[in-house]
Amino acid sequence: MVARDKPALKACQNVEEDLVLYYYGELKESAQSNCEAHLKNCETCRASLAEMRSLLSMTAAHDEPAQTFWDDYSREMRRKLDAVAERETWWRRIVALVASLPVPALATGAVLLLALTLTLGKGLWQSSTSAPDDEALIEVLPMAEQLDFFSDMEILDNLDMLETLGGQGYGTT
Amino acid sequence: MAAIATGQIGDEELVASAQKGDRRAFEELVERHQQKAYHIAFDFARDREEAKDLSQEAFLKAFTHISRFDGRSGFYTWFYRILVNVCLDYRRRAKRAPAEEYNETVERQVEPTHVSANPVAPDQLAIASQLSRKVGAAIETLPAKQRMAFILKNHQGLSIREIAETMETAEGTVKVHLHRAVTALRQSLAEFV
Repeated sequence: MVARDKPALKACQNVEEDLVLYYYGELKESAQSNCEAHLKNCETCRASLAEMRSLLSMTAAHDEPAQTFWDDYSREMRRKLDAVAERETWWRRIVALVASLPVPALATGAVLLLALTLTLGKGLWQSSTSAPDDEALIEVLPMAEQLDFFSDMEILDNLDMLETLGGQGYGTT
Repeated sequence: MAAIATGQIGDEELVASAQKGDRRAFEELVERHQQKAYHIAFDFARDREEAKDLSQEAFLKAFTHISRFDGRSGFYTWFYRILVNVCLDYRRRAKRAPAEEYNETVERQVEPTHVSANPVAPDQLAIASQLSRKVGAAIETLPAKQRMAFILKNHQGLSIREIAETMETAEGTVKVHLHRAVTALRQSLAEFV
């Protein structure tokens, strides 16, 4: 590397910042003039630019397929576009059909759909809950019969008490 | 649409026709931009089939959303934005094939085109092959946005302004991406210069 004094080094650093944009022709006019003036007098920066040019030119992949590839590409693209267009057509048909219906017809359809959903939903709910109810009833009925029996027994007890009370009452009067 | 075949109609008119449902107009847009689109995708994927699929996927997205194109930018800017996103999504999806597989893919895809175009001696071929692998690996290690800015500039020749529009960022940011990308590549590939 060529030895450079401090101001020269600073100037090189400034140009180094711009060198990429200079290479790509993206510097503004004044910056480009400054860069060119510096390059004219600076061997190090010229070498840096040449190195960058050499490096960047070899980074591209350079894939150039034959014409048959492009023919296939176009054919395949048309086929894919057909498929997308077909899907879109079906979707648009459905949207168009719904959109073309008058509002009362749509409202009637919505009400019918709601009624159907509720009816079927209720039927399903009932059928799913009836079995446990039946089982519960089977368990509860004998208990209820036993309760009747016990309440009858209570009345008998009360009759005895009533007779006793009645006898006492008749005796006093 | 006889004028389409002569290439007299601008992209804007073709887009307007495509928005009215003219399939041939859209196909003409594809024909115009397919090679650039393919090459951008190839620079990303470094694989011929992947590049074809990615570029076609971008065209299909453009076709599906053509009604949303409002003409504020050029068609190519709008379309390249879609393509860039498809490519970046591909990178995220790929996450990542092992380096050896990647290098073999690069070699397989890139090398034959050099060989068929310019027959070279075996030792030169070996050097070219090694270089191709190194270049692919060096570009691969760049952060996604630096890589995209570099590819759009170095390989596609887009201006900084166009890249900024495509990447939806400021021109200053693109310059920084580009500078960093080139600096990193110079460091990675110093032995070949």
